[in-house]
Parts: sequence; C-alpha cells; structure tokens
Amino acid sequence: MTVITAPDAGTLVTPRKRGRRRPSLLIALSFLIVALVVICAFFGSQIAPFGANAQNLSLATQAPSAHHLLGTDDFGRDILSRLIVGARAAVIGPTLIAVGALIIGNALGLIAGYVGGRVDYFIMRLADLVWALPGLLIAIVVVGVIGGGYYVAVTVLIVLTFPVDARIVRGAALQQRNMPYVEAAGTLGISPWRVMLRHIWPNLLPLVMANTFLNFAFSLVALSGLSFLGLGVPLNTPDWGGMLAQNFSLIQSNAMACLGPAIALVLTATSMNLIGDWIYERLSDRGRAR
Amino acid sequence: MTAGAAAEPLLTVSGLRISSRLQGTDRVITVGTSFSLAPGETLGIVGESGSGKSMTARALIGLLPAGVRAEGEVIYRGRNVLTMGGRELRQVRGAEIAMIFQDPFTMLNPLMQCGAQIVELVTDQDGKRPGRAARREEAARRLAEVGITDPAVADAYPFELSGGMRQRVGIAAAIARDPQVLIADEPSTALDVTTQREILARLREVQRARGMGLIMITHDLRVAFALCDRVLVLYAGSVLETAAAERMEAEPLHPYTLGLLLSDPPVDRRLSQMAAIPGSVPAPDQIASSCAFAPRCEWRAEPCTLAAPPLAEVAGDRWSACIRIPEITPEMQRARAEALAAQVGQDETAALPDDAGLPGAVVAARDLQKVFGDKRQSGRRVAALKGVTLEIGENEAVGLVGESGSGKTTLGRCLVGLETPTGGSVVVNGVDTRQAARLGSAERRRLRRTVQMVFQDPYSTLNPVRTVGSTLAEALSAADDQVRDVRRAVAELLEQVGLPARYAERKPVALSGGERQRVAVARALAVRPRLIVCDEPVSALDVSVQAQILNLLTAVRRELGVSYLFITHDLAVVRQVAERVYVLRQGEVVEQGSTSEVLDHPRHWYTRMLVDSIPSSEEAWLEQASAAEPAPSQG
Amino acid sequence: MRARQISVFLARRVLALIVLLLLISFLVFGLLYLAPGNAIQVLLGTHPSSPAIVAALKAKYHLNDPFIEQYLVWLKGAVRLNLGVSIQSGQTVTALIGSRIGVTAFLGVYAFLVAVVFGVPAGVIAAMHSRGIADRAIVGISLLGVSVPAFVSGVFLLYLLAIDAGWFPVYGPGVGFVDRLWHLTLPALALAFGVMALIVKLTRAAMITVLEQDYIAFAQARGVGPVRVIVRYALRNALGPIITAGGLILGVVLTGAVLVEQVFALPGIGSLLVTSVEAKDVPVVQGFTLLAAAILIAANFLIDLCFLFIDPRITAGRGAQ
Repeated sequence: MTVITAPDAGTLVTPRKRGRRRPSLLIALSFLIVALVVICAFFGSQIAPFGANAQNLSLATQAPSAHHLLGTDDFGRDILSRLIVGARAAVIGPTLIAVGALIIGNALGLIAGYVGGRVDYFIMRLADLVWALPGLLIAIVVVGVIGGGYYVAVTVLIVLTFPVDARIVRGAALQQRNMPYVEAAGTLGISPWRVMLRHIWPNLLPLVMANTFLNFAFSLVALSGLSFLGLGVPLNTPDWGGMLAQNFSLIQSNAMACLGPAIALVLTATSMNLIGDWIYERLSDRGRAR
Repeated sequence: MTAGAAAEPLLTVSGLRISSRLQGTDRVITVGTSFSLAPGETLGIVGESGSGKSMTARALIGLLPAGVRAEGEVIYRGRNVLTMGGRELRQVRGAEIAMIFQDPFTMLNPLMQCGAQIVELVTDQDGKRPGRAARREEAARRLAEVGITDPAVADAYPFELSGGMRQRVGIAAAIARDPQVLIADEPSTALDVTTQREILARLREVQRARGMGLIMITHDLRVAFALCDRVLVLYAGSVLETAAAERMEAEPLHPYTLGLLLSDPPVDRRLSQMAAIPGSVPAPDQIASSCAFAPRCEWRAEPCTLAAPPLAEVAGDRWSACIRIPEITPEMQRARAEALAAQVGQDETAALPDDAGLPGAVVAARDLQKVFGDKRQSGRRVAALKGVTLEIGENEAVGLVGESGSGKTTLGRCLVGLETPTGGSVVVNGVDTRQAARLGSAERRRLRRTVQMVFQDPYSTLNPVRTVGSTLAEALSAADDQVRDVRRAVAELLEQVGLPARYAERKPVALSGGERQRVAVARALAVRPRLIVCDEPVSALDVSVQAQILNLLTAVRRELGVSYLFITHDLAVVRQVAERVYVLRQGEVVEQGSTSEVLDHPRHWYTRMLVDSIPSSEEAWLEQASAAEPAPSQG
Repeated sequence: MRARQISVFLARRVLALIVLLLLISFLVFGLLYLAPGNAIQVLLGTHPSSPAIVAALKAKYHLNDPFIEQYLVWLKGAVRLNLGVSIQSGQTVTALIGSRIGVTAFLGVYAFLVAVVFGVPAGVIAAMHSRGIADRAIVGISLLGVSVPAFVSGVFLLYLLAIDAGWFPVYGPGVGFVDRLWHLTLPALALAFGVMALIVKLTRAAMITVLEQDYIAFAQARGVGPVRVIVRYALRNALGPIITAGGLILGVVLTGAVLVEQVFALPGIGSLLVTSVEAKDVPVVQGFTLLAAAILIAANFLIDLCFLFIDPRITAGRGAQ
C-alpha cells in the first residue's frame, strides 16, 4: 500500500516562481531532517549526551530540564539520548524494506510487464492476495505468532511490500511497451533484456525512485506500529515506537517521554514522503514533449 | 453569401491579446487579433499548431484554462465577453454563443444518456423545465435536426455510438438553446474523411436553417475553403491575411498563405518536389518585433524585420499583414504556377504494371488474416484483416489507403513483425516468416531488419531519456557490431535526413515534431532495410512540415532505392509518394492498381466515395453530402 | 443478453472470491505451526501439562492426523462458525469476538463517516483550486495524515484534548449511545485522520483527471451551472477510482483500529488481537484473521457489484468502439 495514485504533494514543493530551479524551503527542510536522522543513526552513541541505556533511578520520570532536555523515563534514562540512538532502528529497517522491495519488485514487475506470460500471472495473483488484506495486520499476526524480533518484522514487511510494487512497475512497463520507441527497438533486433534495461526502465525511474522514498516512510510507520504493540522490537536498542508504548503511562508526569518519539516519527515520515513526491515532480518534468 | 454590408456584426473582436502565465513566466499566445462575424456568415480561422486558434476560440466564450488570460474586446450585443462576470457569462454561453469541441470521443459525459445531455438546459415558454414526455419529444426533435432519426439514440450512452454520431449529438447539445453564434473547434479533425464530409454538411444545414453565425476553427485550408465565406489566416499568434474564401483561394495575398496552399498536396497529380516552407513554426514571443513569418519567408527584406506589420487593406475588402505585397504579387503568382507544374510525367507512372506478380518481391502478404480478442469471449473478437494479399517489389513505393478500422495499421505491423497473423503468410526476402524459427538467430535478426517502420506520433517515437545520437548509435550497432567510427556514422545518418550533425547531442524534447520524425527515418535507415513501412508518418504534423517530410522520403528513396509501404488515410498524400496503391476497407482489399489510375478513375464504390470526400470548394461538394443518406456503418 | 452477461460476470467473481478465501484459510490454519514450539505447547499455553491433558488435546485437535485432514476438519468447523476455543480464557472464539466486535464496529463506522464527510469535499476543493492556496493547504494536511500513524495521532489527541484540556474521557468505551459517542470521538478522530488523508488523495487525483476532460469544458460551454458540473459531470465520473479503493480504505480502518484501541484502552477486537498475539492464543488469532479476511473480501465483492450499477460500460463489455 504505497503509491496508489501518482505522488501528488508536488503542489507543496513546486516553487512558485520558475526561472532558477531552486527547491522550495519545505524540501530543504525535509532533506535537513533526513540528514539529521541518518547522522544520528550512524553516530548516535557518540552524539547522545547520555548512554541510551544508562539508568539512574534517582532521577526517574523527571520533566524536561536543563540537564535532561526531554526529561527522563521511569528508569531514569535520558529521553533525548534514547531518541537519538533510536534513530538507528528507524533508518535500518525501513531502508532494508524499501531497497528489498525495490530490487525484487522491480525485477519481477519489469519481466511481468514486458515479457508477460507466467511471471505476469504469478505477480498479479500475488498482488491480488496481498492487496486483499492490509499489510500491517498480516504483519501483526505473523510476527506476533512467530514471536520474532526486528529482522523477522523486516522480512515480513519486505514480503508484503514487493508484490504491490511489482504490480505498479508492471503497469508502467506495460504502458512503455506500447510506446513506438520500444517497438522500434524490437524491430531493430535489440534483445529483450537490453530493451527492458535501457529503454523501459529509465523511463520508469521517476516512479521507482519516488516509490522507494514513499515505501521508506510507510515502512517506518509500519515498523513503529509493530513495536508500539510490542512486536518486532529490536534487542537492546531503543526504538521510537517502543518508546512510545513504554512511556505511555508516563504521559501525565513527563509528556515529552511520549511525545518526543512521536514527533521524531512524524517528522521523519513526513520528510521522506515530501522528498518522494518532490523527486517524482522533478524527474518527470524532464523529457516532456513540446 | 454574406449578409448585407450594412448589417450589424454579431461579434466584433478587437485587439484580442491572449497570454499565459505559468510558474512565473509570461508566454504570448496571440498578439492583438481583430476580426468580426456578420449574422449568417461562416468565418474560418485557419492556423497550424502554435497559431493560437484554439485559445482564440476559447476566449470568445470565456473558457480559457487556468493561468491563461485575455485582454482586449470581444463585443457581443454591446457587451464585452472578456469582462463579464460568472453569472452573466453563464447566461451567454449556450444561449447566445455556443461551442463544439474537436474530439467527439471525449466531448460527451460518458455516464449520461445522450438525450439527457441534449435537453439538459432546455426550458419551455415559462422558463420552467419541461416534463418527462416533453423532454423526450424535444430530444427526438433535435436529434432529427442533425440527421439522427433512430429514437434509440436518445437513450443510448455515448460509448454505444460511433464517432460521427457522437459529433452530431454534440452539435445538437450545443445548439439546444438556440444560440446566435456557433464556434466549431476543429469539429471534423478526429473523424474519417467520409464522416467529415457529412458533419460539415450537417453544420452548414443547421447554420442556414437557423441563421446562425459560424466560426470554424481548422488547420485544413481545404476544409475552410469548402465551408467558409471568409477566411482568416493565423500564424504564431498574429493574423496574416483575411479575405473572402474564393478570392483567397484564387490568389493568396500573403507569402504564408501561399506557402500553406502549396504545402497541401494536390490529389490530381504527382509533384516531383513539393514546395515546402523551410523551418518550423516559432513561438509568438520570439517574433514579437518583426513580421511573424519573416524568418521563413522567401521574400523577406530589411523592413520586414524591423517591426510587426499591421493588418492593412491591400485590395477591396482584402487584408494582409505583408508590407511587400504590392511588389511581390507577380513573383508569388509565378512561384505558384511553377510549383504546380512540377509534376511527374505521365509516362513515368504509367510504366509500372499493376500487381502482375513482380519478380523478387521484397515483401509479400498472402491471404493474411488477423483476429484480435480472446477465443473464449466470442463477443469480443474483432477481425482486423480478412484475407489480404499484396506485394511490394524492389525500389517500389506502394500506398495503403483506408479509414479507421480498415486494418491498414494492423497490416503494416504484421509486415514488420510487431503482430503475428492468425492466418495466411508473410514472405520477406523469399522466406516465409512462419518458418523463421528454423533459421539461426543471426539469420533471423537479419530477416527482421529487412523491414523497418516509421511510426505516426513524432512525440513518442523517440525515447525521451536518450539523446538522438545514442538512439542512432544503438540502431547502427544493431545492424553491424563492428561499426568503427560511430560518431561519423551517426553524423552521416543525420545528414541524410537533413539534420545537422550537432543534433546528436540533443534530446528529443529539444526537437520539433518534424525534426523528430526525421530522426525516426534515420533510425529506420540505420539498419539498411529493403522496405520501410511508414504508418501515417505525416498526419500528426503541421501541413507545412508535412511537405518537408514527404520530400525527404522521396529524396531518400532516390538515393538509396529503398521501398516503401506508405499507410495513410489521405489520398492526396498517397498520390505524391506511391506509384501503386491498395485500398483497404474493413480488412479487405477493395481495389488496387497504379495510383493515378485508381484515383482518377476509381472502379469500386468505396474508392469513389473516398475520392469524393476530399474537401473541395465547389458548392456541390456539401450539397450532395446533405442529400445523401449516411452509409449504415458510419456516423 | 445483459442479464446473462451480468450473471456470468458475477459467477466468475464469486468463484475467484471463494478460491481466495480458501487459500487464506489454509494459510491461517498453518499459523498454528508457525508459532514457536510444537502444536501441543502452543495449545497448552500456560496451563499445566499432564499425559492425560496432552492426549485429550491430541484427540480434540486431531493432531495425529495428517496436516490436510486437520485442515479440513478445522475448515468444516469454521464454516459453521465454530472457530475453536480460546486457550487463555476458555471461551469459544466466536463468543469472544462477538462480545467485542460492537465497539470496533462503532469506532470504524464513526471514523469512516468523519473521513468521508470531510475528505471527499476537501479532495474536490483541492482539485478545483489546483496549485492554489486551498490546494496546498489540503495536500499538506493529508500528507501529514499519511505520515502520522494512527497511534501517534491518538497519543497527541489524548494528550491535548483529554489530559490537558479535559474535554474528552481518557479511556474506555462508554455506556449507551451518546456516552459511547463521546468516549469514541477522540479515537475516531485519530483513526479518521489517516483514512481521510487517503480519501483526499484519491478524490483529488480522480477529480483533477476528470476536470481536465473535454466533457467538463463542453458542459460549461453550454452554460451548465457550476454546481451541476461538479456533481453530475465531475464527481460522478471521478467516483470510480475512489470506490474501487473501498477495500483498501476498509483495511486501513481495521489496522488503525487495532492501534487506536491500544491507546484508548477500548475493548474491541483490535485489542483482542493484540492480547491474543502476545499470549500466542492461536485459535483466537486464527478466528480474527479469518473474520477480517472474510469481511474485506466480501467488501471488495460488494464494491464490484456497485460498479455494475454505476458504470454502464462494464456490463456492455466496453461496447461499440
């Protein structure tokens, strides 16, 4: 359940004045946020003011102060530090899912669209099956019953994401297949593989890239939903969804313990969505006729 | 047949300036045009793409798209349409000024019955909506007015009707509230020639019966001369000439009008070279401070580029924006006479025998059949080809003529290998393609390359993400893996199709339609085919560019001796290109022979009908069409 | 002839439906074996074990029979709405689900109505003023809706309007219709936010495509009033893609309900799922999944049925072109 319709937040990010193609403020902000999150993911433990798991029971459940900018949770752990280190779980999983779905979905979708035949049939049936049931629900059931952790959840989400991606790519590839330049390549005697890779796929690039970013955003939301319910939680590292669940009971005493991860989630997902839509706008503007 | 000179004009347009504002940049669409429409008059606005004719039509009814605005005056009954508010405008639209659109397939609401759409806004004498029975009667009456007598049509949905029928329903709906002015934006362009004739005749009838003024927007000069009393020529946003239709046809008083007339291929003779206008249509912004046509004009002189010439009366009620007209008129007349005299000698065309089984045919189709659709779903099967036999020999140009649904495109695609016939055979270079599986892969590839194709739509014929050079390089290496100097080979190809070598670095988006089509021809030539199937290669291009491409194809053939199968619906075009022609109707060949023979003395009734459907400015052309009942399978 | 074509179309759809349901039921049944530990351990749960109990379990669940037979037995029961017994509570799964489905249904319908009532007009307005300020604002809000998961918006709403402002209760489903309405307003809003974003996106995209069509301009050129143009011409034609996504929307509602019920401590089937999954109460999970699948598939089928009445082109088989 990713790109049901073509990305449309282009209205938000298209600059009002043409002339010099300067990206709008909103996009710049999005990139900034994403960059920040990625930095935290890699260097979180160095940046965080306190250890993410460093408990200090005497300072438990404190409101934000100069010392602990977002306060502490019921174990006395610094919320801000846990937030920073939690960026890792927020980046790795969704990236794996987006990239995994990209590779598998695109390969299958291209073949289904251009070659057709059995692969096409298989993809359509698989996509129908996945489409019929909401992905997150299945993930809850499967991950819950298997009892797996973070990477089990990631795998399940990859499996649930790629069929729909494949179907979207298949649709686009089918459209491309009827284009005169693809047919001409066929009559010239160019091999089907070459046609797929050099003629069809480059024209799908805007869609594919945008989709990858949107997939990332959706996966982040899904994974955090799972960890909110206590499923697919990474071991020993904090993660935003889990923090939300754990600190929910503290909402009256230190709301930031709960709202902090919530805001981090929203900002990251929104930024990725915006970037995805922006990419689609930018890339599909080139090569327009007339 | 204009109303008396003293009659008050219905519509007066002065200084209509249309511009668009897209994301911060202003683009001019028309530059202060002025004209008027008398009651009962038919005014034709003729222009190619980029002339601004469609936007002009929309401005007259206040329907400009978002971001486009119009300045100036459009006076109807003393009020300026351009400054009317929403409510006033809605009262004018449909009841006073009405418009019909170009594409009958998208003009009607797909989810509303035809009858309902026609009588939607009709009110009785008290201004109230009539009851159900009264509405049905009204719908039937109005359908009859446009020549539809079958009562079932009123209850039908648009998708159940043919293009011609839908266009008639559209006309009926547009005039439902008895407007005084009807604007027709290319009403017949999307239709077959035979249907086109009927629709135009119908329009004329309806107009005369009601005494409406009609503004006809078209790119086809022939259509304008056939239907209109006066013609206005629009080019890159400026009016270049205005005159009564017969007088303009007899003697154009602007180099562009002359060029346009000459770019139209004649159907009664074959020219060895068409007089084409070089270059392509510029954007109105680019030629703001000079004569719009100057960059492409044969008679351009210093004063032409100094300022935009105004429309001036150069003869009795004849207006032209060419400041050199008094001097160049005799030259223009001479040029016209020369162009039309440059015809291919009769003996050259007569020498070729008609289909006597030419030895060593490059490609032949024997009893070719093609059926589309699922075997299981019997309702959906369509027989596109029902047993077609044809041959194309060495260095021969063969035409394939037909309307939509004739199967001509399917036939072309079967020959190229893009479709597999369901019956019959295709023989290429003496090899039956059904046996192709037995050949080695190198042999098979070579066989495929014998026949290449040039497609109809220049805007999707090239891969938008690849440069021209890389597209051609790929084609070259498909033919010959060891092409040594690719850059030089690409440059040579480009030269052959009349493009400079530096175009290799450009992407298709930077090329005009005509240029893209040239690259498409180059791509086909890269593999040195023996036959090129051209599927309506010029129908999507402006008339002035069409002639360029036709000349190119003729020149290429002269140089390389390649054969053509030229697929088109336009008889005049096929006359210029092919020596032999096949006429296709609903999947079968109904007539074949040498082009001059078939077009000058058609034997089959369908061929005769096609020839008769070519627009002519004779009064009889429209009269006869009105009298005749439309053929059952058409609109 | 039309009647025949309709019945052929329906028959084919029903067949596909049944196949899909069977496939899903097979997978759902297999869940028992997905859980860690062998089937006996799962079925025992936290109850003490003894050879007698194990033998009883084996007999009851036919664990000695081959997989296929077990499946068929289970399927037969499922068709008769006998979905087994909850390991945790001992109640029948059907009773358990039945007692809790009311809350979720109320929540779902409430959220759906809010989303449609606000979402469709918003999408229409956004499309009409494409690239204008209203459009940018609406698209911006719906972008947030897609990026903010239901539980996050739940938490925010809970904090701001229940805890901080105290306008709404903090948890519980409420008793009686009006009280329930009040209690479920915040959860419904949290849920509706995401669903509304989806509806706005779909409506806007469909309307933009439709508004570009010639028949809109032709209607305007004939003087058809603006309201009628939007409703009879534009919206009517745009509804197609929106309604098609009905199944998707239902899925989003269901998923969101699971999350939102956690935040607001509502005793619906969503929270039932969560507790069952945590306790590995497989029969309940199976029952829930089967029910969810059946509802969604039935919904999709009904939607296809709707189309028969909305679009005359479908039964005529894309007619006389």
